[in-house]
Amino acid sequence: MNAWSVSFNKPISYSAGLEIQHRLLKARQENKIPDTVLILQHQPVVTLGNRGRSNFLLKTEAEYKAEGIDLFRAERGGDVTYHAPGQWVLYPILHLGGNDADSHGYLFNLEQIAIQTLADFGIKGFRKEGKSGAWTEAGKIAAIGFRLKKWVSFHGMSFNVSLDLSGFQTIVPCGLVGEPVASIQTILGKACPEMEAVRDSLLNHFEVICGRKLERFDAEGAMPAELVPLVSGS
Amino acid sequence: MAVPQDRFYAKTHEWVSLDNGIATVGITDFAQSQLSDLTFVELPEVGTHLAAGDEAVVVESVKAAVDVYAPVAGEVIEINSELEDAPETINTDAFGAGWLFKLKMVDEADVDQMLDADSYEELCPVS
Repeated sequence: MNAWSVSFNKPISYSAGLEIQHRLLKARQENKIPDTVLILQHQPVVTLGNRGRSNFLLKTEAEYKAEGIDLFRAERGGDVTYHAPGQWVLYPILHLGGNDADSHGYLFNLEQIAIQTLADFGIKGFRKEGKSGAWTEAGKIAAIGFRLKKWVSFHGMSFNVSLDLSGFQTIVPCGLVGEPVASIQTILGKACPEMEAVRDSLLNHFEVICGRKLERFDAEGAMPAELVPLVSGS
Repeated sequence: MAVPQDRFYAKTHEWVSLDNGIATVGITDFAQSQLSDLTFVELPEVGTHLAAGDEAVVVESVKAAVDVYAPVAGEVIEINSELEDAPETINTDAFGAGWLFKLKMVDEADVDQMLDADSYEELCPVS
């Protein structure tokens, strides 16, 4: 059976994204849907992982609020990070272990998707020993944090395209002191591709690296009947 | 790594070894290999009553958090508290010193629902 992807054209709140993930997670555990990848942008939000350290937050809750940034403690692994429009967030809801592509390890596969997507736009991406995510000479460009429940994944990876990076100055990203954060725009400037082109590239590489061919849907368009209530919540 | 023959397996990658009504529970080598270096283990409290399928443990690596389930029902009578200081033991010895907790089983027949080593191995993609 093919896997599905659902792409959101408008940024959504972190809490809305979380609710959709929880509904998909349950449906996937119960085998009511195939593996499904959400790809979306969030409204500005700072999130802490399960064991994320709050001393890496450089502002008070009130100060974040005043800047229009939400604050969340998420149930994923990983430390503190920032999401905002101009950054793709990939939330694969996958049952891991049954597919040969999973033997490389899910973390490795996510990093590989980021590195190959960067290559599509002429940017050299790489891993850093002992650290997770994808990096460029200009700084870290993809951050990873996920959780498995009954071996179904949720949360995932964020990938910086053209977002305003100033939000990252309110945190110590991933708890890594002195590590710069970059985006495709930092590197390519005016030659930065459209968000849609980067999204398609991420999904193309997902298909090959995670070994799951995608039937692609838009959250605003027609979707399989099983997906509609899970995505819309009604 | 070969999967030990002397125990039972869950599709969610837990193992159980039985000794006189006491079930020792851990995660398999395949499971730990998917998680990379573990940095934190949240164990249940001794005395907790678990039903089969209950969330029992959360193991975390730098980037991942993974829920581990009780494969059989019982009361937690011992936890591997050495893991709190050395969670990486699960990476190096998942089937041995990396065990998670021990349950006094309600019904030993619970393991009949589990897989033997050969059936479990067929589930895992070979790396």
